[in-house]
Formats: sequence, C-alpha cells, structure tokens
Amino acid sequence: MSMTTARLRRRVNRAGIFAILCLVGVVMLFPFVFMGITAFRSVDQYIAGSGFSFDSWTVLFNAIPVVQQLINSTIVTGGAVLIILAVSSTAGYALSKLGFRGSSYLFLGVLAGMTVPMQSIIIPEFVNVSQVGLVNQYLGAILVYAALGVPFATFLMTAYYRGVPNELVEASLMDGASFWQIFLRVMLPMGIPALVTVAVLQFIQVWDDLLIGLLFLQSPNVRTITVGLATLQSSRMVDVPALMAGSIVSALPAIVVYLIFQRNLVAGLTMGVNK
Amino acid sequence: MTAPAASRRSSSSLAPRPLAGRLRRSQRRAGLVFILPFVALELFLLVLPMLQTLYYSFTRWDGLSSTWIGLDNYQRLFGDSTFWRVVLNNVFLLLSIPFAILIPLLVAFLLNEHVRGWRFFRSIYFLPTAISWVVIGMVAIRVFASEGILNNLFDQLHLPIHLDLLGGELSAMLAVSITFIWSVFGTNTIIFITGMATLDREIYDAAKVDGAGSFATFRLITIPMLMRFIQFAFIVTLITAFTALFSLIFIMTGGGPGYGTTTLEFYVYQQAFSVGVFGYGAAIGVVLSVIVFVISLAQTRLFRSRLD
Repeated sequence: MSMTTARLRRRVNRAGIFAILCLVGVVMLFPFVFMGITAFRSVDQYIAGSGFSFDSWTVLFNAIPVVQQLINSTIVTGGAVLIILAVSSTAGYALSKLGFRGSSYLFLGVLAGMTVPMQSIIIPEFVNVSQVGLVNQYLGAILVYAALGVPFATFLMTAYYRGVPNELVEASLMDGASFWQIFLRVMLPMGIPALVTVAVLQFIQVWDDLLIGLLFLQSPNVRTITVGLATLQSSRMVDVPALMAGSIVSALPAIVVYLIFQRNLVAGLTMGVNK
Repeated sequence: MTAPAASRRSSSSLAPRPLAGRLRRSQRRAGLVFILPFVALELFLLVLPMLQTLYYSFTRWDGLSSTWIGLDNYQRLFGDSTFWRVVLNNVFLLLSIPFAILIPLLVAFLLNEHVRGWRFFRSIYFLPTAISWVVIGMVAIRVFASEGILNNLFDQLHLPIHLDLLGGELSAMLAVSITFIWSVFGTNTIIFITGMATLDREIYDAAKVDGAGSFATFRLITIPMLMRFIQFAFIVTLITAFTALFSLIFIMTGGGPGYGTTTLEFYVYQQAFSVGVFGYGAAIGVVLSVIVFVISLAQTRLFRSRLD
C-alpha cells in the first residue's frame, strides 16, 4: 500500500471519528438547547414551535419565590460545604498525621460511612430532627447534608494529607509549633487543592439534591430552588416553558461552578481508582 | 504492598516516626481533639440513625410510638408481591449497566484518538454531571412523552413509529434506564479516558505494526488493560443506580405507572412518607443498605487484591 493511500485512509478514519463524536455531542447537548429555547417561548409559541417571549419568566416568578429560594439554596449549600471542609480537614489531619489509639479503626469507619445509602437512615433522621425542632430550619438540613458528605470528604483529605511529608510536621515541631499551629500554617495551605475538590463536589451534590430538601425544608419560603422546581413539576404544572425557565435558574449556578472547576471535579471523581 | 504487621503497633504506620514520649502523648491528645468534630457529627447524624433504622425495622412504628414485633416486618416484606415487583425494577437497572459501561468505553476509545476538538467534546460529555436529577428528569419527560420530542422526531423522519414509553410499566422503566445511561455517560467516559491516559502508547503502536485493526486493538488491548477502571466504573454506576435515582424517578414517573418504576430506594420513601409505615420502611432500608454494603465490600476486595 502506497504512502498516500495510507494517509488517505487515516484521514477518512479520523473524519469518521470526528463525525461520531459530533453526533454524541448533539445527544448530550440537546437537553440544554431544548431548555434554552423553550424557556424563551410562551406556551402557544412552544406548541407552534417558533417565536420568542419572556412570558414563561413571569409565570415562573409568580409560581414560586425564585429569588428567596436561590438565597435558601445558597445558605444551605454554603453552610453545609463550610462544615464539611472544617470537619474533613481536621479529621484528615488527625487520621494521617496524629496516629492516636484506634485511628486505623476509625479510618475503616470512614470507609464504611461512605457506603451508607441516604434512604437507609432517612426515616429516623427525619424523626430525630423534627423532635429537636429543626425541620423547616436551615440548620437542620445543613447538618444532615454535612453528615452525609463528610465521610467521602474525610477519605479524600486523609488520602491527600498522607502525601504530605512527615518531615514537614516534624520540622515545625522542632521549631516549637503546636499541633494547632501546624494545622493552620502547614496542613491547611498544603491541602488547598484537595479542599477545592471537596468543596466543588459537595457544592454540586448539595445544590442538586432533592430528597433532604423535600423532607427537611417543607415550607415554600425555606425551600431550596431544586426542591421548589420539583414541587412545581409535581403540582402538575403544565406550562412547559415556565418549567424550563425554572430548570435554567436552578442549573445555572452548578454549571458555572462546573465550568470554572472542571479539573477539580474530574480529580475528585477519579480519586477512588487512582489511589 | 505493606509488609506483614511486624509489631502490634502497625497502626502507627499512619503516623510520623516515633517521637519522644512526652511529645508522642501530646500528639495523641491532639489527634483526639482534631477528630472530635468528625466523631460528634457522624455519631449523632449517621451512626445513631443507622442503629435506629435497624432497631425500628423490628417494630411497628408511626414516628411517635413503636411496638416490638420481631421479624414480622421482614416476613411481611418477603411475602409482599409488591416488594418483589420492586426488586425486579432494581434488576432491570442492573441489566442496563453494561450499556452504561460499554458506550462510554467505546466513546473514550474514540476520544483517545485525539482528533480535532476532543477536549471540547470531553467537556460537553461531562456537563450533565453538574446538573440535578430534577432538571434531567424535567427534560426527560418531554423527550419521552406521547406528544414529546422523540415521537416528533419519528414523525419528521416519516417513520411509522409512535411510542408512549411513560404509559406502560416496563416501557417507563426503559425510559428511566435510558435517562440514567445518558446521565452517567460523562462520568464513565472521564473514568475511562483517565485510564487510557495511563496506558503505554507503544503497545498500541506495536499492535498496529502487527496488523491489528481498531476493533481488535480495542478488544484485545484496551479492555483487558483497563479492567481495573471498568470494575471501578461498574461499582460506582451500580451504587448510583441503586441509591441516587430517587429524584429522577420522583420527577419522571413518581414510581409509576403502578409500581413500574418504583425501585427499592423509592419504595423506602413511599412506604414511610406516603403510606406512613415507618417500621416497614426501615426494614426495606435495611435490605437496601445490606445490598449496597455487599457491593462496596466486593469493590474494596477488588482493590485490596490489586494492592497486594
């Protein structure tokens, strides 16, 4: 076979691959395009399949308190992520650098905690939280989200901190630093890449969650936007453009976070297999 | 990888080299202080409700008062035809997993050819990872509805096909599964691309010299060498299928028609919060966590065997 035929075949091959990847891209992007187009149509225009209108947004803002629910989502997600960062970084430090009695068993506990399905604890959790009066309070949902996110976050932080050389800790000890100072001055700054990964993963997890919000934040003015949107759908609302407008509002913050921190997200998701 | 435990204090392999006695003691004390927030949070909000779920699964419970009834909930569960119908839906999800693995594997193989724009494609494929099941379900209804996008497409292509997927029990489960496969496509593709990046390109070149075609390379080199990534993706996908689809089902079908798309996790919610039988719901929750725990254990064993 001559050189040019080989090159031609390679060209055709690569063009074929490009075409397949494009097709897959269309299938993956389609829902986003559908959302984007439909959200800017009135119901009639949606049925007719053409036109442009802001009607759906008026309908959406009249149906649910959009701004309030976005604020709720921000408070709940922000609070949960902060607690998860604080708890998993201190725990990761303790488990990786401060071997204490039972620390290796506790690490097994962390691994076991990662496997607990939400549905298996949700019933007593709900009963407990309502007995202490924290249903419909941000704090109740924040704590439940934190407790569910912490095991995986701690696993990630412990694994990451194990890679920090012990000599760094020892050198600081020789300089007379306390363990608390070592945490603040050595471990926290060194752990920033892992902390960012944890924050991004948990942000998306909590922002996008339905079940916890549905149960623990029931009244409309404390609901998160994801829950608000779900209740709109389950209330048999038939205004598809308004539902798509709501979808865009609820999805946008997580998409922005994704676009900025894509790399960290990938690192977190593939962590389990590279360790 | 680790040597057999040489001493009883092998747990200190986690810790810095042995320090002087006083320092060692203060280090241990610091360890306990730093682990305290973790222990407090998890004890009250994870371990306690887990034990409660187990306890209440042996009771009749309405959230306020409970009566011990021994194994009654479990006996009722295994004799409940609805429960087995629900388990069947989980089996259906299980059967969809090969597709959720194979399609991303093939696409990752193509992406790995690094044609023009492959990074852009990779970003697009991964995008659904950021959006909620609620939003995904919201669009999926409109795709599969009787007057929806899919049927519209068939009409425009002049195909004599009209599907009402969400109208039938089995077909609704199919629609949920397709949506599920679509949603995990990006994550699995990323896992396989990460895996392929670790492979030696020379092996591919050698295979080409030996005259192996693309398919042969894929089957004989890529798949075997990626086995550990495939197993990882399999477990992650399976756990997602069994524990993360509540919101999708809630939005898309509400578990119906009938019990057509009610999976175990949805059944827990439904029995507890719609029907109000908390003890029975707890028993289903226990069964679900046992299943997930066994799957996870299999995963850890897979990793262990690889580390040794």
